[in-house]
Amino acid sequence: MTTNTASDAAAADGTRPAGGTRGTSVVLQDLSRSFGGTRALDGLSIEIAPGELVALLGPSGCGKTTALRIVAGFESADTGSVLVDGKEISRVPAAKRDMGMVFQSYSLFPNMNALDNVGFGLRMRKLGAAKRRQRAGELLDLVGLAPQAKQFPHQLSGGQQQRVALARALAIEPRVLLLDEPLSALDAKVRLQLREQIRTIQQRLGTTTLFVTHDQEEALSMADRVGVMSHGKLEQIAAPDELYVHPATAFVAEFVGVMNRIPAELGGSGMVSCVSCTVPVKEGDSVTDLGGDNAVDVLVRPEGLNMEVAEHGNGIVTTKTFLGSVTRVGVLLSGDVTVQIDKPSSEAAALAPGTSVSVTLPPEPVLVAPRR
Amino acid sequence: MAAIADTQAASGTGRQGPARSLPVWRWVILLVAAVYFLVPLWAALRFAGIKALGSVVTQAGFADALWLSVRLAIVTTVITIVLMLPTAVYVHLRLPQVRRLLEGITILPIVIPPVVLSVGVLQVAPSFLKSTPYLLALIYVILAMPFAYRAIDAGLRALDLKTVVEASNSLGAGWITTLWRVVLPNLKTALLSATVLTVALVLGEFTMASLFLYQTFPVWIVVFDQTSGQISVAASLDALFVTWLFLMAITMFGTRQSRRTGGGEATLFSVARQETRGN
Repeated sequence: MTTNTASDAAAADGTRPAGGTRGTSVVLQDLSRSFGGTRALDGLSIEIAPGELVALLGPSGCGKTTALRIVAGFESADTGSVLVDGKEISRVPAAKRDMGMVFQSYSLFPNMNALDNVGFGLRMRKLGAAKRRQRAGELLDLVGLAPQAKQFPHQLSGGQQQRVALARALAIEPRVLLLDEPLSALDAKVRLQLREQIRTIQQRLGTTTLFVTHDQEEALSMADRVGVMSHGKLEQIAAPDELYVHPATAFVAEFVGVMNRIPAELGGSGMVSCVSCTVPVKEGDSVTDLGGDNAVDVLVRPEGLNMEVAEHGNGIVTTKTFLGSVTRVGVLLSGDVTVQIDKPSSEAAALAPGTSVSVTLPPEPVLVAPRR
Repeated sequence: MAAIADTQAASGTGRQGPARSLPVWRWVILLVAAVYFLVPLWAALRFAGIKALGSVVTQAGFADALWLSVRLAIVTTVITIVLMLPTAVYVHLRLPQVRRLLEGITILPIVIPPVVLSVGVLQVAPSFLKSTPYLLALIYVILAMPFAYRAIDAGLRALDLKTVVEASNSLGAGWITTLWRVVLPNLKTALLSATVLTVALVLGEFTMASLFLYQTFPVWIVVFDQTSGQISVAASLDALFVTWLFLMAITMFGTRQSRRTGGGEATLFSVARQETRGN
């Protein structure tokens, strides 16, 4: 139960959380699913280690929700399989999968109070009324809503409803917890609080969790590993910092965090010329499918560009956005390209709009993509 | 924003004018409506006399006719709900694209003349039913369909059925348990609404019953009119009063229910839940 490929992989990554042996492993194998003519999922494979929280991140329509619903048993895959602790569950109905799910829209049963909502799954498991109430009470306590036990869903705020929904999903001690954008209907402040609460509880219980979101901040801050999806395929799955620092593809690079695109010329022997610098192209980059075209874009983060004040530089400062310790400076390069460059706020004070600056690339390998 | 403020200010200042004259008009309209509805009742009461109201129940044929109408009302309501509820739930969950079509189909009984419908029912009704009054129930099911379907449909729309059913499934409830413990309790108001409309329709229907020569309560009233006009009118008043009490009781029950679970005000014709969920 504890050792399999998924947990080994996670352990090797160093991403396996403390006490991760308690949970259940989940493996998505080569899942494909079409709706009419559109392919929602196109050969998706993910391995989730016991106790791990994996977030699926991607723009709407990328197939992340379909993947989650296949794991939950609300959709079926055309091909591929889902393994829970090594057992194929495609034929198991949703009601028998032992998976707790929290939905995007409010899903509490309007005819039951918070306590009965949480106790519903236990009732389905034929637990006696007294034990049920006790356990439901404990879970409401866990999400900090013990005083609201007797209230009906319409008397609770959106954030409270989602917390009750979380307690309800956890009450059945699910093998896997599935979260389908549970925070997207909430306002920013509540979202932030609940995000931390979900993560804390998940880590305490060690429940294997699959979390679907389109909000990169949410995914990066909560997950052990984040899978970035596009057009039904997994672009990359990695720890949040890895994803940010070493994006595998141009899509990931641009979807996660802020990314500059600067036109460049591909030279020989894996070098690329850009803003009068020549730097190596990153190993294993998708540069091979550039189709022999030399015109490419270099992808570089706002903190990855050097900038100095210069009399006749290659750029002009146009905007400044104060972000606290750093200031994001907009610089107009020749060829009508604007890039964002982060500078410590103390240094950026001297850069008034209109200042001529020289922008250069540090001599490190960069990611390139076909020119847009 | 400024525009909104302007209109608000305008309506604020303008309110004083209508505010003085509006209640007067309200009373006038109320009075006219009251005269329109109450004068016939008052006239009927004068014509029949208070004593006749009580003596209705002892008249020949009264009990049989009323009992037949009540039986028909019960049978019709049961068939209607047993047919309509699963259909509406299934369409909402699995065939949302058919919802428009079904809405169109269920409105047909209003458009097609009842006589045509009754011929259709005769064509398909099982022969053992053709010689019993329960044949009428089949026709009433069709006549009640537009109202019953709409009531149930409105209830389902207010529920976010798909999410709630999936939540119930994922917690380990099978289909029957989900319908019984989650869907039905949340459709109480809607089903009540459907029941009231169906019962009211059956208790008041005259044309079909008289066409098929069954003496339901409304038919009895008309037939009895030839013997004693006063008793017949008194029977109508009794029926009106009893039906009114019945509807009030159901409405009050529905309102109490929905107040407890947070539904909107339950009225006979509107079961839409107010969206009270916010952050």
